[in-house]
Amino acid sequence: MFRLTLKNLLDKKIRFALTTLAVVASVAMVVGVFAMTDSLRSSFEGLAEDIAGSSDLSVRSVQDLGDEFDRKPVDEGVAGVVETVDGVQLVTPVVSSFNDVVVIDREGNAIRPSGPPALGFSWLPDQFFLINGGAEPSAPDEFAVDVETAAKNNLIVGEIYNIDGPLRQEPFRLVGIFRFGSPERHSGLGQTMAAFELETARDFFGLEGVYNELSLTVTAGTDIASVQQAVQQAVGPGLEVVTAEAIREETADDFNSVISIFNNVLLAFAFIIVFVATFIINNTFQIVVSQRIRELGLLRAIGATGRQISRSVYLEALLVGVFSTVVGIGLGVLLGNGLRELLNVMGFSLPSGPIELRPRTVIWAAAIGIGVTMLSSIVPARRARTIAPIAAIHSDQRLAGASLTRRLYLGGAMAATGAILLGLGLFAASTTRSVLTLVALGAVLVFIGTNTLSPSFARPAAMIIGKPLTLFGISCTIARGNAARSPRRTASTAGALMIGLALVGMAGVVGSSLTKTFLTTLDNSVEADYFIQSTSAGFDPSVTFSEEVVEEIRALPEFESVVRYRFSQGSLLINGDTQDIFTADLAEVELHLDADIERGSLTNADPVNGIAVHRDKADDLGLTIGSPVEVTFPDGQTDTLTVEAVFLDNSLFGNWLVDNVVWERHFTRTGVSFASATVTGFSDDLPEDQQQELLAKAAAAIEPVTKHFPTVIAENRVEFRQSQQDQLNSFLAVIFVLLALSLVIALIGIANTLALSVFERTREIGLLRAVGMTRRQLRRAIRWESVIIAVFGALLGLILGVVFGVAAAIAIPDSLINTASVPYGQLLSYVVVAAFAGIVAAILPARRASRLNVLDAISHE
Amino acid sequence: MDTKTTAARAENAFKVYGSGDTEVRALDGINITFAAGEYTAIMGPSGSGKSTLMHCMAGLDTLTDGEAYIGDQALSTLSERKLTLLRRDNIGFIFQTFNLIPTLSAGENITLPLTLAGREPDQEWINEVITTVGLADRIDHRPNELSGGQQQRVAVSRALATRPSIIFADEPTGNLDSVTGNEILSFMRKAVDDYGQTIVMVTHDPSAASYADRVVFLVDGRIVDELTDPTPDTVIDRMKTLGG
Ligand SMILES: Nc1ncnc2c1ncn2[C@@H]1O[C@H](COP(=O)(O)OP(=O)(O)OP(=O)(O)O)[C@@H](O)[C@H]1O
Ligand SMILES: [Mg+2]
Repeated sequence: MFRLTLKNLLDKKIRFALTTLAVVASVAMVVGVFAMTDSLRSSFEGLAEDIAGSSDLSVRSVQDLGDEFDRKPVDEGVAGVVETVDGVQLVTPVVSSFNDVVVIDREGNAIRPSGPPALGFSWLPDQFFLINGGAEPSAPDEFAVDVETAAKNNLIVGEIYNIDGPLRQEPFRLVGIFRFGSPERHSGLGQTMAAFELETARDFFGLEGVYNELSLTVTAGTDIASVQQAVQQAVGPGLEVVTAEAIREETADDFNSVISIFNNVLLAFAFIIVFVATFIINNTFQIVVSQRIRELGLLRAIGATGRQISRSVYLEALLVGVFSTVVGIGLGVLLGNGLRELLNVMGFSLPSGPIELRPRTVIWAAAIGIGVTMLSSIVPARRARTIAPIAAIHSDQRLAGASLTRRLYLGGAMAATGAILLGLGLFAASTTRSVLTLVALGAVLVFIGTNTLSPSFARPAAMIIGKPLTLFGISCTIARGNAARSPRRTASTAGALMIGLALVGMAGVVGSSLTKTFLTTLDNSVEADYFIQSTSAGFDPSVTFSEEVVEEIRALPEFESVVRYRFSQGSLLINGDTQDIFTADLAEVELHLDADIERGSLTNADPVNGIAVHRDKADDLGLTIGSPVEVTFPDGQTDTLTVEAVFLDNSLFGNWLVDNVVWERHFTRTGVSFASATVTGFSDDLPEDQQQELLAKAAAAIEPVTKHFPTVIAENRVEFRQSQQDQLNSFLAVIFVLLALSLVIALIGIANTLALSVFERTREIGLLRAVGMTRRQLRRAIRWESVIIAVFGALLGLILGVVFGVAAAIAIPDSLINTASVPYGQLLSYVVVAAFAGIVAAILPARRASRLNVLDAISHE
Repeated sequence: MDTKTTAARAENAFKVYGSGDTEVRALDGINITFAAGEYTAIMGPSGSGKSTLMHCMAGLDTLTDGEAYIGDQALSTLSERKLTLLRRDNIGFIFQTFNLIPTLSAGENITLPLTLAGREPDQEWINEVITTVGLADRIDHRPNELSGGQQQRVAVSRALATRPSIIFADEPTGNLDSVTGNEILSFMRKAVDDYGQTIVMVTHDPSAASYADRVVFLVDGRIVDELTDPTPDTVIDRMKTLGG
């Protein structure tokens, strides 16, 4: 049996190639993702090591809430206390500033990587190593920079550069270029590092009287743990003493959690590909078994048992699986590189390091490559087993499939269960993990259910889709008949495309709903005329710009008022729950943004002790105007604030809003996340030309500010609207590119099915050619068949996608999406794209069909 | 013969498969003319080259040497596309089995060569053909809903639909019982008598051959004998002397 299977496989090289292609692609994708993220992980592990440095212990504040960069600094007096502890040899105070120290090059461009942070440090003698005989920064107007940044941006020692800090911009002379981590090799993953003399750094970063942490070395021969204890005793509560090892682990964990998100997102896309591939392989095996039905019947007739027959199908699957796994692993390593390049092109800046193939990856690859093929072959193998010996004699024998009613029940039940799981996931689940699990499981069930159902309506659907085509002549009539003749095959071929398009359609709906919500908010609730943000803002709370920018704009007569905004995620503790916080200049913010105040007022609120809250939260906690709220901040302090206003629109400020004064009291971070401005004299009631004139003046006035601070951009309403939309679109583009891979695989599936169908219909094709069908007409018939299948899959997918998308839009919090919007035009264009894709998929099968020798084809058995 | 025009002819036709030891001369110097409106039967033992002759005459295959003509058109000078169009417009086909496209209805199968050509079928003519072969009530059925005899009737109708200059039929009744076969043969006879259709038919059956105007005997790729106005008995007699 083994020899027969092998021979059979080798005989049908093209079929074998097509079947393996889908598996190879899935395996390669999974391997690529793992290999790339593993290489990222290694790079970051190296960085974590270097960040921990060579000191033994660190003293820093205890932090329970908020981001690492919001950790409260240590009072400078502590240094003296620590120095006196027995066993402490050296105390190095460290100050740093996260992501808001940006060097400006000679051309006036901000040197800010997109992704990795722009860091500022006090000079760290045991971690920074000068190269080329430069000098450490020692005077108040000197700085040093890492070798990677210097090289990439042609920074030259001796030159003076402006540097944007969290408080202000200042010129510094570049005195040295250093490597970070080791004297031989710079540990750089794209971050920029500017280093200053300690006191200069403190002044520039706004850390008067404090250090971020103290780094200690222990006298040689002393037990680190006992010194750690002694120091802890000396500094008392509120501060903690941690080992370098602990810091390394902490940092590595932080990096890992980011990489894991990245890894999981990519794996989700890989999983989609695997899922699509499963459809295709299953379909291929199905077709292959039905094509071999006579041969298998003959085997049965001469004495092979049903078990032997099904075993030969499994064996074929196993061979395909093993082969694909091996090839897929090889390609996956290449793909890992390609994936990184792709992501870099799309705006990420990922460090380059050797792509890694860990044993875990190989195990996954084998599990997927072999598992998927074996799983896909179960149903075809069971069908093959039931082939009766009589099949050898009757040429029109068909495989027994599940009956229509059984299909309806089974498919309907699966789709319904899937829908319920989806609903639970979207609306009832609480943790991210359970949401994702339920949604993924639900979606898979919906897809399989739909696919089980779809053969029952594939025939009429193909007939309807093909109806308009029949006007274009006989080729199209034949195409339509072919697409409708084996509904199961058409349905499962279309199924692969359905999955991709459902996801694309869903992303389209969610994206369009996001845009619509954003635009509605902008149009209805935003009164400000100008918007100022960091050039690489995104939604990273650590990306800020200095207050000086705001001051310069405030000084311009063309602008009436400027409001600063800051935000931080999960850094407040209210009533036992962590909360996000927004800040604004309350006295003026009502002129800029309309948060639909229900009760109270922001303008008249007490900025020092006031807080505003969204209605839902207020109702939850039973708050009303004048209620006291206990709020704990990342610095460990708890304030009792008074509710001054209740607002209805949470798309602007989330749930909690305080004045910047409150922020400045509890956060060391001084940079501003966002600012809005009103143009003097501007009003929507003014005639259009006067509006334009005022805007033009404002633009001219603000230009020197953005020139001075190249880290920020200032946009008027129209520009802001556009740039926000562009940002959203480029985000969607990333998703579409990743989904495109699954579409490519679905196309392979269509090509595969067509090729097998062409083979099966060889005689028919011969007959058509004999009675006068030209090659061109034949190609057209196959092409249109492909188009019908593709459009069927696309429509199915988009219908599901719209349902998913609308459900997601409803489930996503109102602050992000408050109306579901279906982009019909866009969806229609996907159908057109799918139709074109169908044409592409048909190229090879059509060419093959048209080249068949007429006489051979007619006498084909 | 001079009074009739020529529907098709072969001149010194050779068809050789393989070479050296394995060389097979399927056609070994055939000269034959099919006059318009004539019904010819071709007989001969298995492997004598009957099918090969039909295929080469009909432009489905090419001769190794010599020339085949449809009307005055020499086939070897035609491109693949021209040949296809010639088949579509001027030649009819009936095979032993598998004559129909399963996804098309009987009616669509009948008009297939016309629709391929983008021509409007001459409905009157089509109706006449369909009525004659007795398919009027089966016209919307798919081939798998038709009996073997009905399927062959559809095939005959399709061959007649374009009023081709010649119809080639390769054992058209080989797969049918004698009653059904005789019906089909009568239709073909009728097409010759009533509409002046030219037909060339391969058969192994003497009584089928007796429907033709003449019988041509092939052995080893050569024409060895010819018989006009055959009856089953004369055909059997002739076969005996040849087979002897
Ligand atoms: N493609 C081919 N390759 C090699 N030899 C061939 C090929 N086709 C036909 N032949 C040979 O040519 C000869 C004539 O074949 P042909 O099919 O014309 O015979 P036939 O008279 O139609 O026989 P039958 O009555 O069995 O149909 C045979 O010897 C056959 O083996
Ligand atoms: Mg023959």
